[in-house]
Amino acid sequence: MPISALNATQALIRRKLNAGPRRRRKAELLLTRREVTWRERLVILVPYLWMILFFLMPFLIIFKISLSVTEIAIPPYSPIVTFEDGAMQIILHLENYTFIFTDEDGTYMKSYLKSLEVASFSTLLCLFIGYPIAWALSKCRPATRNIMFMLLIMPSWTSFVVRIYAWMALLKKDGLINDVLMALGIIDSPIHMLQTDFAVYVGIVYCYLPYMVLPLFTALLKVDYTLIEAAYDLGARPVKTFFSVLVPQTRSGIIAGSMLVFIPALGEYVIPELLGGKGSILIGRILWQEFFNNRDWPLASAVAIVMLTILAIPIVIFFKSQRKKAEAA
Amino acid sequence: MEASQRTDAAAAKPQDPSPAAKEPKPAAKNTHRPGDLPGQKASPVEQHKKPILEISDLTKKFGDFSAVNGVDLTVYEGEIFALLGSSGCGKSTLLRMLAGFETPTSGSILLEGRNIVDIPPYKRTINMMFQSYALFPNMNVRQNIAFGLKQEHLKKSVIDERVDKMLKLVHMESFVDRKPYQLSGGQRQRVALARSLAKEPRLLLLDEPMGALDKKLREQMRLELVDIINTVGVTCIMVTHDQEEAMTMADRIAIMDRGEFVQIGGPREIYENPNCRFSAEFIGSVNLFDCTLISSDQKHSLIHTDDFPSPIELGHDLDLADGMPLTIALRPEKVYISKVPDEETGGSNCCEGDVENIAYLGDISIYYVRLPSGRLVASTLPNVDRFKTGLPIWDDHVYLSWDPESCIALTI
Repeated sequence: MPISALNATQALIRRKLNAGPRRRRKAELLLTRREVTWRERLVILVPYLWMILFFLMPFLIIFKISLSVTEIAIPPYSPIVTFEDGAMQIILHLENYTFIFTDEDGTYMKSYLKSLEVASFSTLLCLFIGYPIAWALSKCRPATRNIMFMLLIMPSWTSFVVRIYAWMALLKKDGLINDVLMALGIIDSPIHMLQTDFAVYVGIVYCYLPYMVLPLFTALLKVDYTLIEAAYDLGARPVKTFFSVLVPQTRSGIIAGSMLVFIPALGEYVIPELLGGKGSILIGRILWQEFFNNRDWPLASAVAIVMLTILAIPIVIFFKSQRKKAEAA
Repeated sequence: MEASQRTDAAAAKPQDPSPAAKEPKPAAKNTHRPGDLPGQKASPVEQHKKPILEISDLTKKFGDFSAVNGVDLTVYEGEIFALLGSSGCGKSTLLRMLAGFETPTSGSILLEGRNIVDIPPYKRTINMMFQSYALFPNMNVRQNIAFGLKQEHLKKSVIDERVDKMLKLVHMESFVDRKPYQLSGGQRQRVALARSLAKEPRLLLLDEPMGALDKKLREQMRLELVDIINTVGVTCIMVTHDQEEAMTMADRIAIMDRGEFVQIGGPREIYENPNCRFSAEFIGSVNLFDCTLISSDQKHSLIHTDDFPSPIELGHDLDLADGMPLTIALRPEKVYISKVPDEETGGSNCCEGDVENIAYLGDISIYYVRLPSGRLVASTLPNVDRFKTGLPIWDDHVYLSWDPESCIALTI
């Protein structure tokens, strides 16, 4: 770039610096921005490729299928683009979506709501159980901390399905829990635990608790404890201090942990299938049934797309808050 | 202007000799009774001042280590009191016990006659300004200042009014909506001060109040902080490791070492009349000489040291047996340096040597003079005249002298 042009650009940037705060920030970025080398671009390309190949492409395929109708063919749905007399025809079917929302039995809406309920409640349970654990982890000595981390992580060395089967053995009518309670004389007849919502919550909380604890722990490690002293000093009692100082300071951890529990819990299939009762049909099972039992791929795809939309809302909120925080810092 | 106000305030303080008076005669008294700490006994002025905080036999142990070791202290209403010491001397632990963040191992803390040892920090009428300021990052300036008032469940109008008053006091009215990260260090300190004063505490604690500021701002904020504290009239205890800060801000200073008070007194008293070697060395710089007492009568004492050919003459008597070992402390600014011998001294309180080093600091110059005995003695000269000539330079043979009243005899 010739020097005069360079000077002109810099003058422009400088003029922008004198403009409003938002434009100014942009201009400041321009001034500090550095040329990105092709090696760096290559590194950035890897996650992009991954996302395109394994998220965006399947998503588009599923979305395409959701806009067709089922047919007895291979693949079992109608094509969207057809050529008739040399003219291209695009037929988009929205029936699958309208069916989901207007189905007379309300099967789909009910299972969406049920899934949301189970996922939200499990997230809250994980938060309430995970917060004290994370706090204890952040407060204890490094040696003790390592042991506690081992205890937290060790169960995941065993296969996920095996652990759920273990819970079946624990929760069933003649399972260990009922046996012990009966032997101790606390109960006379076995409690019906397996195939209830209770069992589903036990399974989900048990499996996803570490994903709540780890981000909370990281957030609690960074807490400035003089702020807690300052709150005490200014007359705030412990409970008030917790909510007005500790919670805002660990906000990012709470959000990240909740996301890590809520998102997989919403589409959870194995846990409700093995531990849950016939009454609680979650969206994971609906998906399975539509795909494999009814072989209605278009409807199943529409169910999946709607679920993704439900998930997208909290994710967008999360990233917005993250960006806001990044701007603040 | 602020500086002159400060001097007025200093003059009114208890125990502080009026600036006009020459070196106070009774000041030498502490050398009579080596174990006696001046400042612990109440002066006539103090006696009719109301004590607000009484600490007795306060001890804090962390395992085997005594951070604070059986200290006694009385702080009077409206006073600015400084705890001065190097890091690890226990001053912060003492402050944290006052705030309620540490529980004493033994002893009592009476605030207006009431023992507060078992009262949790959120119920004490004491507020603290933290070294890091500890402003809540998620709240703006107004919310930060209002936080303490909200805990008292006051009416919104009352809170708003009080917050406005505080903002005005610290000149931060135009920053109400800013978050702490949008403020400079000095502004954060103002907000922190406003927040700790908003609840109108009986006692204000300042933990290294200037610790997070740069040097220039520090000097400016010292006087401003004192101004604000005096306007409010709150009793204040501050912790600092910076002697200059303690001396400009505090009415009285306690020098702490290894969990105990070494000396308590006004800035002038502590500087001019240290009661032990530690005190003398901790505040300012000092020349110390190991000596023995030759003789002492009503008005004079003669002291021998291996460093000087002639004995040191002291302007008062010493209540010690002849031949007793003692230390003579001599401040560098009280040692006169000259290229010609001083005739007035008559042989005592003078010596000669060669200039080994000169530190030119702008306002003053420090001369390091090597005596024939090998001892290095520091002497300072104020640089009053811009173009003065004939000053001693490196390797010059010089004569040092001092007044009999300038020497301080120390036994511990």
